[in-house]
Amino acid sequence: MLAALPIIGAPRNWLLYIFLFSIYLAMANMWNLLCGYCGLISLCQPAFIGLAGYTLVIFTWNGLPVYLGIIGGAVVAAAFAILISIPIFRLRGIYFAIGTLVVPEVLRVIFLLWRPVGDVIHGKGAGYMIKGLTEVSMTDIYWLALFIGIASIFLMRLILSSKLGLGLAAIRDNDNTAASSGINIFRLKLYSFVIGAIVTAIAGAIFYMSQEYVEPISAFGMRWTMTLILATVIGGVSIEEGPIIGTVIIVMLHFLLARYAGISLLLQGILLIIIMSMAPQGIMGFIRKTRAYRYLLQ
Amino acid sequence: MYEVLADLSTPLIMGILLGGLYSVIALGLSLVFGVMRLINVAHGDLVILGSYFAYTVMTTLGIDPILSLVLGMPVLFLIGFVIQKYLMARAFGISMEAPLIIAFGISLVLENFCQIVWTPLSRGLTTSYTLAGFSLGEAYVPLVYLLDFIAALVVMILLREFLGRTYLGRAITAASQDRRASQLMGINTARIYALTFGIAAAISAVAGVFLGLTFPFTPLSGIAFLIIAFGVVILGGLGSIIGTFIGGIILGLAQTLGGYFFGPGAQMIFIYVMVLVILAVRPQGIFSR
Repeated sequence: MLAALPIIGAPRNWLLYIFLFSIYLAMANMWNLLCGYCGLISLCQPAFIGLAGYTLVIFTWNGLPVYLGIIGGAVVAAAFAILISIPIFRLRGIYFAIGTLVVPEVLRVIFLLWRPVGDVIHGKGAGYMIKGLTEVSMTDIYWLALFIGIASIFLMRLILSSKLGLGLAAIRDNDNTAASSGINIFRLKLYSFVIGAIVTAIAGAIFYMSQEYVEPISAFGMRWTMTLILATVIGGVSIEEGPIIGTVIIVMLHFLLARYAGISLLLQGILLIIIMSMAPQGIMGFIRKTRAYRYLLQ
Repeated sequence: MYEVLADLSTPLIMGILLGGLYSVIALGLSLVFGVMRLINVAHGDLVILGSYFAYTVMTTLGIDPILSLVLGMPVLFLIGFVIQKYLMARAFGISMEAPLIIAFGISLVLENFCQIVWTPLSRGLTTSYTLAGFSLGEAYVPLVYLLDFIAALVVMILLREFLGRTYLGRAITAASQDRRASQLMGINTARIYALTFGIAAAISAVAGVFLGLTFPFTPLSGIAFLIIAFGVVILGGLGSIIGTFIGGIILGLAQTLGGYFFGPGAQMIFIYVMVLVILAVRPQGIFSR
Protein backbone atom coordinates (compact mmCIF):
# COMPACT_ATOMS: atom_id res chain seq x y z
CA MET A 1 0.00 0.00 0.00
CA LEU A 2 2.80 2.36 0.91
CA ALA A 3 4.49 1.49 -2.38
CA ALA A 4 1.54 2.87 -4.33
CA LEU A 5 1.67 6.28 -2.67
CA PRO A 6 3.93 7.99 -5.23
CA ILE A 7 1.75 6.71 -8.10
CA ILE A 8 -1.52 8.04 -6.74
CA GLY A 9 0.22 11.34 -6.13
CA ALA A 10 0.47 11.58 -2.37
CA PRO A 11 1.89 14.83 -0.99
CA ARG A 12 5.68 15.08 -1.15
CA ASN A 13 5.91 15.52 2.60
CA TRP A 14 4.34 12.16 3.26
CA LEU A 15 6.77 10.49 0.92
CA LEU A 16 9.65 12.19 2.68
CA TYR A 17 8.40 10.98 6.07
CA ILE A 18 8.06 7.41 4.87
CA PHE A 19 11.40 7.59 3.08
CA LEU A 20 13.26 8.67 6.20
CA PHE A 21 11.27 6.24 8.29
CA SER A 22 12.33 3.32 6.09
CA ILE A 23 15.99 4.31 6.05
CA TYR A 24 16.16 4.82 9.81
CA LEU A 25 14.13 1.68 10.41
CA ALA A 26 16.59 -0.49 8.47
CA MET A 27 19.53 0.98 10.40
CA ALA A 28 17.78 0.86 13.78
CA ASN A 29 16.77 -2.75 13.23
CA MET A 30 20.41 -3.63 12.65
CA TRP A 31 21.48 -1.72 15.74
CA ASN A 32 18.87 -3.61 17.71
CA LEU A 33 20.25 -6.86 16.33
CA LEU A 34 23.72 -5.91 17.54
CA CYS A 35 22.86 -4.32 20.87
CA GLY A 36 19.74 -6.17 21.87
CA TYR A 37 20.58 -9.65 20.65
CA CYS A 38 24.39 -9.80 20.52
CA GLY A 39 25.22 -7.44 23.37
CA LEU A 40 27.49 -5.42 21.06
CA ILE A 41 27.14 -1.69 21.60
CA SER A 42 28.39 -0.67 18.20
CA LEU A 43 29.11 3.03 17.81
CA CYS A 44 30.67 2.58 14.37
CA GLN A 45 27.53 2.36 12.23
CA PRO A 46 28.33 5.77 10.64
CA ALA A 47 31.49 4.18 9.25
CA PHE A 48 29.37 1.86 7.10
CA ILE A 49 26.99 4.65 6.11
CA GLY A 50 29.83 6.96 5.10
CA LEU A 51 31.71 4.22 3.27
CA ALA A 52 28.56 3.37 1.32
CA GLY A 53 28.12 7.03 0.39
CA TYR A 54 31.71 7.33 -0.77
CA THR A 55 31.60 4.04 -2.67
CA LEU A 56 28.58 5.41 -4.48
CA VAL A 57 30.61 8.50 -5.37
CA ILE A 58 33.62 6.53 -6.60
CA PHE A 59 31.43 4.19 -8.67
CA THR A 60 29.36 6.92 -10.28
CA TRP A 61 32.35 9.15 -10.99
CA ASN A 62 33.90 6.26 -12.86
CA GLY A 63 30.84 5.91 -15.03
CA LEU A 64 29.40 2.82 -13.37
CA PRO A 65 25.63 2.60 -12.80
CA VAL A 66 24.19 3.82 -9.50
CA TYR A 67 22.65 0.48 -8.61
CA LEU A 68 26.02 -1.19 -8.90
CA GLY A 69 27.27 1.51 -6.51
CA ILE A 70 24.77 0.42 -3.88
CA ILE A 71 25.92 -3.17 -4.14
CA GLY A 72 29.52 -1.98 -4.14
CA GLY A 73 28.84 0.00 -0.95
CA ALA A 74 27.43 -3.11 0.70
CA VAL A 75 30.48 -5.15 -0.34
CA VAL A 76 32.90 -2.48 0.86
CA ALA A 77 31.08 -2.18 4.18
CA ALA A 78 31.09 -5.95 4.65
CA ALA A 79 34.81 -6.14 3.87
CA PHE A 80 35.48 -3.24 6.21
CA ALA A 81 33.40 -4.86 8.97
CA ILE A 82 35.47 -8.03 8.67
CA LEU A 83 38.68 -6.00 8.68
CA ILE A 84 37.88 -4.01 11.82
CA SER A 85 36.45 -7.06 13.55
CA ILE A 86 40.03 -8.35 13.87
CA PRO A 87 41.00 -5.76 16.49
CA ILE A 88 37.64 -4.81 17.97
CA PHE A 89 36.21 -8.28 18.49
CA ARG A 90 38.91 -8.88 21.03
CA LEU A 91 37.18 -6.27 23.17
CA ARG A 92 34.26 -6.90 25.45
CA GLY A 93 31.38 -4.79 26.69
CA ILE A 94 32.28 -1.20 27.23
CA TYR A 95 35.72 -1.54 25.60
CA PHE A 96 33.98 -2.68 22.46
CA ALA A 97 31.87 0.47 22.48
CA ILE A 98 34.91 2.74 22.71
CA GLY A 99 36.85 0.72 20.16
CA THR A 100 34.03 1.17 17.68
CA LEU A 101 33.72 4.86 18.55
CA VAL A 102 37.23 5.44 17.20
CA VAL A 103 36.53 3.88 13.80
CA PRO A 104 34.30 6.56 12.21
CA GLU A 105 36.64 9.25 13.54
CA VAL A 106 39.57 7.63 11.74
CA LEU A 107 37.56 7.42 8.51
CA ARG A 108 36.46 11.01 8.85
CA VAL A 109 40.06 12.21 9.06
CA ILE A 110 41.05 9.98 6.14
CA PHE A 111 38.24 11.23 3.94
CA LEU A 112 38.98 14.82 4.89
CA LEU A 113 42.50 14.33 3.54
CA TRP A 114 41.93 11.96 0.67
CA ARG A 115 40.35 12.93 -2.65
CA PRO A 116 39.43 9.53 -4.08
CA VAL A 117 38.24 10.88 -7.42
CA GLY A 118 38.30 14.17 -9.26
CA ASP A 119 40.68 17.07 -8.99
CA VAL A 120 41.98 18.75 -5.89
CA ILE A 121 40.61 22.09 -7.01
CA HIS A 122 37.66 21.96 -4.62
CA GLY A 123 40.06 21.95 -1.72
CA LYS A 124 40.50 19.19 0.77
CA GLY A 125 37.63 17.97 2.87
CA ALA A 126 34.96 19.20 0.52
CA GLY A 127 32.17 16.82 -0.36
CA TYR A 128 31.20 15.21 -3.63
CA MET A 129 28.16 15.29 -5.83
CA ILE A 130 26.90 11.84 -6.78
CA LYS A 131 26.80 11.61 -10.55
CA GLY A 132 24.45 9.69 -12.80
CA LEU A 133 21.37 10.31 -10.69
CA THR A 134 19.45 11.80 -13.59
CA GLU A 135 18.28 8.34 -14.70
CA VAL A 136 16.93 7.57 -11.23
CA SER A 137 13.68 9.27 -10.27
CA MET A 138 12.69 10.21 -6.74
CA THR A 139 10.00 7.54 -6.92
CA ASP A 140 12.61 4.85 -7.56
CA ILE A 141 14.64 6.01 -4.59
CA TYR A 142 11.49 5.99 -2.49
CA TRP A 143 10.75 2.42 -3.49
CA LEU A 144 14.31 1.37 -2.77
CA ALA A 145 14.05 2.85 0.71
CA LEU A 146 10.71 1.21 1.33
CA PHE A 147 12.16 -2.08 0.16
CA ILE A 148 15.17 -1.97 2.48
CA GLY A 149 13.01 -0.86 5.42
CA ILE A 150 10.54 -3.72 5.00
CA ALA A 151 13.29 -6.17 4.10
CA SER A 152 15.06 -5.34 7.35
CA ILE A 153 11.95 -6.31 9.33
CA PHE A 154 11.73 -9.66 7.58
CA LEU A 155 15.48 -10.13 7.87
CA MET A 156 15.25 -9.64 11.64
CA ARG A 157 12.50 -12.23 11.83
CA LEU A 158 14.47 -14.62 9.65
CA ILE A 159 17.65 -14.17 11.68
CA LEU A 160 15.91 -14.57 15.02
CA SER A 161 14.11 -17.76 14.03
CA SER A 162 17.18 -19.27 12.35
CA LYS A 163 20.02 -21.14 13.98
CA LEU A 164 21.92 -17.87 14.17
CA GLY A 165 19.18 -16.24 16.23
CA LEU A 166 18.82 -19.22 18.54
CA GLY A 167 22.56 -19.22 19.07
CA LEU A 168 22.48 -15.50 19.81
CA ALA A 169 19.68 -15.97 22.32
CA ALA A 170 21.74 -18.65 24.03
CA ILE A 171 24.77 -16.37 24.15
CA ARG A 172 22.72 -13.51 25.51
CA ASP A 173 21.28 -15.63 28.29
CA ASN A 174 24.55 -17.22 29.31
CA ASP A 175 27.60 -17.09 27.10
CA ASN A 176 29.60 -19.68 29.03
CA THR A 177 26.88 -22.31 28.76
CA ALA A 178 26.39 -21.42 25.11
CA ALA A 179 30.09 -21.81 24.40
CA SER A 180 30.29 -25.13 26.19
CA SER A 181 27.35 -26.49 24.21
CA GLY A 182 29.25 -25.96 21.01
CA ILE A 183 28.20 -22.48 19.90
CA ASN A 184 30.98 -20.49 18.29
CA ILE A 185 30.33 -17.13 19.96
CA PHE A 186 32.88 -15.24 17.90
CA ARG A 187 31.50 -16.46 14.60
CA LEU A 188 27.85 -15.75 15.43
CA LYS A 189 28.65 -12.23 16.57
CA LEU A 190 30.80 -11.64 13.52
CA TYR A 191 27.98 -12.81 11.21
CA SER A 192 25.57 -10.40 12.89
CA PHE A 193 28.10 -7.59 12.72
CA VAL A 194 28.66 -8.13 8.99
CA ILE A 195 24.93 -8.46 8.26
CA GLY A 196 24.39 -5.26 10.22
CA ALA A 197 27.12 -3.54 8.21
CA ILE A 198 25.65 -4.64 4.87
CA VAL A 199 22.08 -3.53 5.58
CA THR A 200 23.23 -0.28 7.19
CA ALA A 201 25.41 0.42 4.15
CA ILE A 202 22.59 -0.21 1.69
CA ALA A 203 20.29 2.07 3.65
CA GLY A 204 23.06 4.67 3.81
CA ALA A 205 23.65 4.49 0.07
CA ILE A 206 19.94 4.98 -0.63
CA PHE A 207 19.90 7.93 1.75
CA TYR A 208 22.81 9.55 -0.08
CA MET A 209 21.11 8.93 -3.41
CA SER A 210 18.35 11.22 -2.23
CA GLN A 211 20.82 13.75 -0.83
CA GLU A 212 22.92 13.64 -4.03
CA TYR A 213 25.86 14.86 -1.99
CA VAL A 214 28.35 13.32 0.46
CA GLU A 215 30.80 15.06 2.75
CA PRO A 216 32.89 13.47 5.50
CA ILE A 217 31.81 15.42 8.57
CA SER A 218 28.16 14.44 8.47
CA ALA A 219 28.66 11.09 6.73
CA PHE A 220 30.85 9.77 9.55
CA GLY A 221 29.10 11.85 12.20
CA MET A 222 27.90 10.82 15.64
CA ARG A 223 24.45 12.06 14.68
CA TRP A 224 23.73 8.78 12.92
CA THR A 225 24.68 6.74 15.96
CA MET A 226 22.52 9.01 18.07
CA THR A 227 19.49 8.51 15.86
CA LEU A 228 19.89 4.74 15.83
CA ILE A 229 20.36 4.45 19.57
CA LEU A 230 17.44 6.76 20.22
CA ALA A 231 15.09 4.92 17.86
CA THR A 232 15.98 1.58 19.41
CA VAL A 233 15.94 2.73 23.02
CA ILE A 234 12.65 4.63 22.75
CA GLY A 235 10.96 1.65 21.13
CA GLY A 236 12.62 -0.98 23.26
CA VAL A 237 15.97 -2.73 23.04
CA SER A 238 15.93 -6.47 22.25
CA ILE A 239 12.28 -6.32 21.28
CA GLU A 240 11.55 -6.99 17.63
CA GLU A 241 8.89 -4.31 17.26
CA GLY A 242 10.91 -1.80 19.29
CA PRO A 243 12.74 -0.05 16.45
CA ILE A 244 9.51 0.30 14.43
CA ILE A 245 7.76 2.27 17.17
CA GLY A 246 10.95 4.15 18.02
CA THR A 247 11.60 5.15 14.42
CA VAL A 248 8.06 6.49 13.99
CA ILE A 249 8.61 8.73 17.01
CA ILE A 250 12.08 9.80 15.85
CA VAL A 251 10.86 10.77 12.39
CA MET A 252 7.94 12.67 13.88
CA LEU A 253 10.29 14.54 16.19
CA HIS A 254 12.64 15.16 13.32
CA PHE A 255 9.97 16.97 11.33
CA LEU A 256 8.27 18.68 14.24
CA LEU A 257 11.55 20.22 15.32
CA ALA A 258 13.02 20.68 11.85
CA ARG A 259 13.10 24.42 12.28
CA TYR A 260 15.07 24.29 15.51
CA ALA A 261 18.04 22.14 14.53
CA GLY A 262 20.16 22.70 17.63
CA ILE A 263 17.34 22.43 20.12
CA SER A 264 16.06 19.30 18.39
CA LEU A 265 19.25 17.41 19.16
CA LEU A 266 19.33 18.80 22.69
CA LEU A 267 15.78 17.52 23.24
CA GLN A 268 16.69 14.17 21.72
CA GLY A 269 19.53 13.84 24.20
CA ILE A 270 17.24 14.71 27.11
CA LEU A 271 14.63 12.27 25.81
CA LEU A 272 17.25 9.53 25.61
CA ILE A 273 18.30 10.13 29.21
CA ILE A 274 14.71 10.22 30.45
CA ILE A 275 13.60 7.06 28.62
CA MET A 276 16.69 5.15 29.62
CA SER A 277 16.37 6.01 33.30
CA MET A 278 12.57 5.87 33.60
CA ALA A 279 11.58 3.09 31.21
CA PRO A 280 14.73 1.21 30.16
CA GLN A 281 12.65 -1.31 28.24
CA GLY A 282 11.24 1.41 26.02
CA ILE A 283 7.66 1.91 24.89
CA MET A 284 7.18 -1.61 23.55
CA GLY A 285 8.59 -3.05 26.75
CA PHE A 286 6.10 -0.98 28.68
CA ILE A 287 3.17 -2.11 26.54
CA ARG A 288 4.21 -5.73 26.79
CA LYS A 289 4.45 -5.49 30.51
CA THR A 290 0.92 -4.15 30.87
CA ARG A 291 -0.51 -6.71 28.47
CA ALA A 292 1.15 -9.55 30.35
CA TYR A 293 -0.13 -7.96 33.51
CA ARG A 294 -3.71 -8.02 32.20
CA TYR A 295 -3.34 -11.57 31.04
CA LEU A 296 -2.27 -12.64 34.49
CA LEU A 297 -5.23 -10.92 36.11
CA GLN A 298 -7.80 -12.79 34.03
CA MET B 1 72.76 13.00 12.01
CA TYR B 2 73.14 15.93 14.34
CA GLU B 3 70.95 18.06 12.11
CA VAL B 4 68.20 15.45 12.12
CA LEU B 5 68.29 15.37 15.91
CA ALA B 6 68.23 19.15 16.11
CA ASP B 7 65.30 19.16 13.74
CA LEU B 8 63.55 16.53 15.79
CA SER B 9 64.11 18.33 19.07
CA THR B 10 61.16 20.66 18.51
CA PRO B 11 58.54 17.92 17.98
CA LEU B 12 60.10 15.85 20.78
CA ILE B 13 59.94 18.62 23.36
CA MET B 14 56.51 19.77 22.16
CA GLY B 15 55.25 16.19 22.30
CA ILE B 16 56.37 15.69 25.88
CA LEU B 17 54.88 19.00 26.99
CA LEU B 18 51.67 18.30 25.06
CA GLY B 19 51.56 14.94 26.83
CA GLY B 20 51.07 16.89 30.05
CA LEU B 21 47.88 18.40 28.66
CA TYR B 22 46.66 15.01 27.48
CA SER B 23 47.24 13.45 30.86
CA VAL B 24 45.20 16.17 32.59
CA ILE B 25 42.41 15.59 30.08
CA ALA B 26 42.59 11.86 30.75
CA LEU B 27 42.80 12.14 34.53
CA GLY B 28 39.09 12.75 35.05
CA LEU B 29 38.17 9.87 32.78
CA SER B 30 40.64 7.61 34.55
CA LEU B 31 39.27 8.55 37.97
CA VAL B 32 35.66 7.81 37.04
CA PHE B 33 36.69 4.66 35.22
CA GLY B 34 38.83 3.45 38.10
CA VAL B 35 36.25 4.08 40.80
CA MET B 36 32.94 3.30 39.08
CA ARG B 37 34.00 1.13 36.12
CA LEU B 38 32.15 3.59 33.91
CA ILE B 39 33.55 4.97 30.69
CA ASN B 40 32.13 8.41 30.76
CA VAL B 41 31.50 9.12 27.08
CA ALA B 42 30.54 12.67 28.02
CA HIS B 43 34.00 13.37 29.44
CA GLY B 44 35.28 15.16 26.35
CA ASP B 45 32.23 17.41 26.35
CA LEU B 46 32.74 18.24 30.02
CA VAL B 47 36.28 19.34 29.15
CA ILE B 48 34.97 21.50 26.30
CA LEU B 49 32.32 22.93 28.63
CA GLY B 50 35.21 23.92 30.91
CA SER B 51 36.88 25.67 27.98
CA TYR B 52 33.70 27.57 27.11
CA PHE B 53 33.10 28.53 30.73
CA ALA B 54 36.59 30.03 30.92
CA TYR B 55 35.95 31.74 27.58
CA THR B 56 32.78 33.39 28.89
CA VAL B 57 34.43 34.48 32.12
CA MET B 58 37.37 35.85 30.18
CA THR B 59 35.31 37.80 27.65
CA THR B 60 32.69 39.17 30.06
CA LEU B 61 34.65 39.75 33.26
CA GLY B 62 38.11 40.07 31.73
CA ILE B 63 39.60 37.52 34.13
CA ASP B 64 42.60 35.48 33.02
CA PRO B 65 41.50 31.92 32.04
CA ILE B 66 43.78 30.27 34.58
CA LEU B 67 42.43 32.48 37.37
CA SER B 68 38.87 31.80 36.17
CA LEU B 69 39.32 28.26 37.44
CA VAL B 70 38.41 29.57 40.87
CA LEU B 71 34.89 29.85 39.42
CA GLY B 72 35.07 27.10 36.85
CA MET B 73 36.12 24.24 39.11
CA PRO B 74 33.23 24.56 41.59
CA VAL B 75 30.71 24.95 38.77
CA LEU B 76 31.90 21.84 36.96
CA PHE B 77 32.18 19.99 40.27
CA LEU B 78 28.52 20.71 40.88
CA ILE B 79 27.54 19.57 37.37
CA GLY B 80 29.48 16.34 37.80
CA PHE B 81 28.00 15.75 41.25
CA VAL B 82 24.45 16.23 39.95
CA ILE B 83 25.02 13.97 36.92
CA GLN B 84 26.22 11.12 39.09
CA LYS B 85 23.74 11.58 41.90
CA TYR B 86 20.55 11.99 39.86
CA LEU B 87 21.28 10.17 36.59
CA MET B 88 24.12 7.69 36.77
CA ALA B 89 23.31 6.29 40.20
CA ARG B 90 19.97 5.06 38.86
CA ALA B 91 21.51 3.84 35.62
CA PHE B 92 23.88 1.46 37.38
CA GLY B 93 20.91 -0.47 38.71
CA ILE B 94 19.19 -0.84 35.33
CA SER B 95 21.52 -2.76 33.07
CA MET B 96 25.07 -3.00 31.79
CA GLU B 97 24.59 -0.66 28.87
CA ALA B 98 22.29 1.87 30.54
CA PRO B 99 25.09 4.05 32.04
CA LEU B 100 26.86 4.13 28.69
CA ILE B 101 23.73 5.14 26.81
CA ILE B 102 22.86 7.78 29.40
CA ALA B 103 26.41 9.16 29.23
CA PHE B 104 25.97 9.27 25.47
CA GLY B 105 22.79 11.28 25.97
CA ILE B 106 24.57 13.67 28.33
CA SER B 107 27.32 14.09 25.76
CA LEU B 108 24.75 15.06 23.16
CA VAL B 109 23.01 17.48 25.51
CA LEU B 110 26.27 19.20 26.46
CA GLU B 111 27.42 19.36 22.84
CA ASN B 112 24.24 21.03 21.66
CA PHE B 113 24.00 23.23 24.71
CA CYS B 114 27.43 24.62 23.83
CA GLN B 115 26.36 24.98 20.22
CA ILE B 116 23.26 26.97 21.14
CA VAL B 117 24.94 29.19 23.72
CA TRP B 118 28.31 29.79 22.07
CA THR B 119 27.51 29.08 18.37
CA PRO B 120 29.42 26.44 16.40
CA LEU B 121 32.29 28.84 15.62
CA SER B 122 35.81 27.87 16.56
CA ARG B 123 37.01 29.69 19.67
CA GLY B 124 40.26 29.99 21.56
CA LEU B 125 41.35 31.41 24.90
CA THR B 126 43.57 34.18 23.59
CA THR B 127 45.62 35.92 26.26
CA SER B 128 48.67 38.17 26.36
CA TYR B 129 50.95 35.14 26.61
CA THR B 130 49.28 33.05 23.89
CA LEU B 131 51.93 33.78 21.31
CA ALA B 132 54.85 34.00 23.73
CA GLY B 133 57.57 31.37 23.61
CA PHE B 134 61.19 30.68 24.33
CA SER B 135 64.12 28.90 22.74
CA LEU B 136 65.50 25.75 24.23
CA GLY B 137 68.66 24.74 22.39
CA GLU B 138 67.57 24.32 18.79
CA ALA B 139 63.91 24.10 19.65
CA TYR B 140 61.37 26.85 19.96
CA VAL B 141 58.75 26.13 22.59
CA PRO B 142 55.48 28.05 22.98
CA LEU B 143 54.92 29.18 26.57
CA VAL B 144 51.43 27.63 26.79
CA TYR B 145 52.87 24.17 26.18
CA LEU B 146 55.14 24.63 29.17
CA LEU B 147 52.16 25.83 31.21
CA ASP B 148 50.28 22.68 30.17
CA PHE B 149 53.06 20.54 31.50
CA ILE B 150 53.36 22.44 34.78
CA ALA B 151 49.59 22.25 35.26
CA ALA B 152 49.74 18.51 34.69
CA LEU B 153 52.40 18.08 37.35
CA VAL B 154 50.51 20.25 39.83
CA VAL B 155 47.16 18.51 39.28
CA MET B 156 48.72 15.08 39.49
CA ILE B 157 50.66 15.72 42.66
CA LEU B 158 47.60 17.29 44.30
CA LEU B 159 45.37 14.39 43.28
CA ARG B 160 47.92 11.86 44.48
CA GLU B 161 48.26 13.54 47.85
CA PHE B 162 44.49 13.91 48.10
CA LEU B 163 43.85 10.24 47.38
CA GLY B 164 46.61 9.06 49.68
CA ARG B 165 46.36 11.37 52.65
CA THR B 166 42.84 12.65 53.23
CA TYR B 167 39.98 10.62 54.65
CA LEU B 168 37.81 11.26 51.59
CA GLY B 169 40.64 10.32 49.26
CA ARG B 170 41.18 7.04 51.08
CA ALA B 171 37.46 6.35 51.02
CA ILE B 172 37.49 6.85 47.25
CA THR B 173 40.42 4.49 46.90
CA ALA B 174 38.66 1.94 49.09
CA ALA B 175 35.42 2.19 47.08
CA SER B 176 37.37 1.68 43.86
CA GLN B 177 39.07 -1.42 45.19
CA ASP B 178 36.04 -3.20 46.57
CA ARG B 179 32.64 -1.61 46.65
CA ARG B 180 30.93 -4.06 49.00
CA ALA B 181 33.76 -4.31 51.46
CA SER B 182 34.01 -0.53 51.71
CA GLN B 183 30.25 -0.34 52.23
CA LEU B 184 30.58 -2.76 55.11
CA MET B 185 33.29 -0.54 56.55
CA GLY B 186 30.76 2.25 56.75
CA ILE B 187 31.57 4.17 53.60
CA ASN B 188 28.58 5.69 51.84
CA THR B 189 29.55 4.59 48.33
CA ALA B 190 26.70 6.43 46.61
CA ARG B 191 28.01 9.68 48.07
CA ILE B 192 31.61 8.75 47.27
CA TYR B 193 30.64 8.08 43.67
CA ALA B 194 28.94 11.46 43.36
CA LEU B 195 31.96 13.21 44.87
CA THR B 196 34.33 11.30 42.58
CA PHE B 197 32.35 12.32 39.53
CA GLY B 198 32.39 15.90 40.81
CA ILE B 199 36.15 15.85 41.32
CA ALA B 200 36.64 14.35 37.87
CA ALA B 201 34.51 17.15 36.40
CA ALA B 202 36.50 19.76 38.34
CA ILE B 203 39.72 18.33 36.86
CA SER B 204 38.00 18.56 33.47
CA ALA B 205 37.61 22.29 34.11
CA VAL B 206 41.39 22.58 34.52
CA ALA B 207 41.89 20.45 31.41
CA GLY B 208 39.41 22.62 29.53
CA VAL B 209 41.24 25.84 30.35
CA PHE B 210 44.64 24.56 29.27
CA LEU B 211 43.12 22.94 26.22
CA GLY B 212 41.59 26.28 25.28
CA LEU B 213 44.93 28.03 25.76
CA THR B 214 46.69 25.49 23.51
CA PHE B 215 44.21 24.67 20.75
CA PRO B 216 41.16 26.28 19.19
CA PHE B 217 37.99 24.41 20.10
CA THR B 218 34.41 24.00 18.84
CA PRO B 219 31.40 22.42 20.56
CA LEU B 220 32.15 19.25 18.60
CA SER B 221 35.78 18.92 19.73
CA GLY B 222 34.71 16.82 22.69
CA ILE B 223 34.81 13.50 20.90
CA ALA B 224 38.37 13.92 19.60
CA PHE B 225 39.58 14.63 23.12
CA LEU B 226 37.49 11.80 24.53
CA ILE B 227 39.33 9.41 22.23
CA ILE B 228 42.68 10.90 23.20
CA ALA B 229 41.79 10.63 26.88
CA PHE B 230 40.66 7.07 26.39
CA GLY B 231 43.89 6.22 24.61
CA VAL B 232 45.87 7.69 27.48
CA VAL B 233 43.89 5.70 30.05
CA ILE B 234 44.28 2.51 28.05
CA LEU B 235 48.02 3.09 27.66
CA GLY B 236 48.51 3.96 31.28
CA GLY B 237 46.27 1.38 32.87
CA LEU B 238 43.40 1.82 35.26
CA GLY B 239 43.56 4.29 38.08
CA SER B 240 47.31 4.70 37.87
CA ILE B 241 48.26 8.38 38.01
CA ILE B 242 51.85 7.80 36.89
CA GLY B 243 50.62 5.49 34.14
CA THR B 244 48.26 8.22 32.96
CA PHE B 245 51.17 10.65 32.85
CA ILE B 246 53.33 8.29 30.80
CA GLY B 247 50.39 7.44 28.55
CA GLY B 248 49.79 11.15 27.94
CA ILE B 249 53.40 11.72 26.97
CA ILE B 250 53.40 8.75 24.58
CA LEU B 251 50.28 10.03 22.82
CA GLY B 252 51.66 13.59 22.77
CA LEU B 253 54.84 12.33 21.12
CA ALA B 254 52.86 10.18 18.69
CA GLN B 255 50.95 13.26 17.62
CA THR B 256 53.86 15.69 17.21
CA LEU B 257 56.17 13.14 15.59
CA GLY B 258 53.36 11.94 13.30
CA GLY B 259 52.74 15.57 12.37
CA TYR B 260 56.46 16.14 11.81
CA PHE B 261 56.91 13.20 9.45
CA PHE B 262 53.55 13.06 7.68
CA GLY B 263 52.13 16.57 7.85
CA PRO B 264 49.78 18.17 10.37
CA GLY B 265 46.65 16.82 8.68
CA ALA B 266 47.62 13.24 9.40
CA GLN B 267 48.64 13.60 13.03
CA MET B 268 45.30 12.64 14.54
CA ILE B 269 45.22 9.40 12.52
CA PHE B 270 48.32 8.31 14.42
CA ILE B 271 46.62 8.71 17.74
CA TYR B 272 43.45 6.95 16.60
CA VAL B 273 45.29 4.03 15.05
CA MET B 274 47.47 3.74 18.13
CA VAL B 275 44.39 3.59 20.35
CA LEU B 276 42.90 0.86 18.17
CA VAL B 277 46.12 -1.15 18.13
CA ILE B 278 46.59 -0.91 21.89
CA LEU B 279 42.96 -1.89 22.42
CA ALA B 280 43.41 -4.92 20.22
CA VAL B 281 46.69 -6.02 21.75
CA ARG B 282 46.29 -5.17 25.40
CA PRO B 283 42.85 -3.83 26.35
CA GLN B 284 43.69 -3.84 30.06
CA GLY B 285 46.42 -1.25 29.48
CA ILE B 286 50.16 -1.43 29.10
CA PHE B 287 51.17 -0.34 32.57
CA SER B 288 48.40 -2.07 34.48
CA ARG B 289 49.11 -5.03 36.67
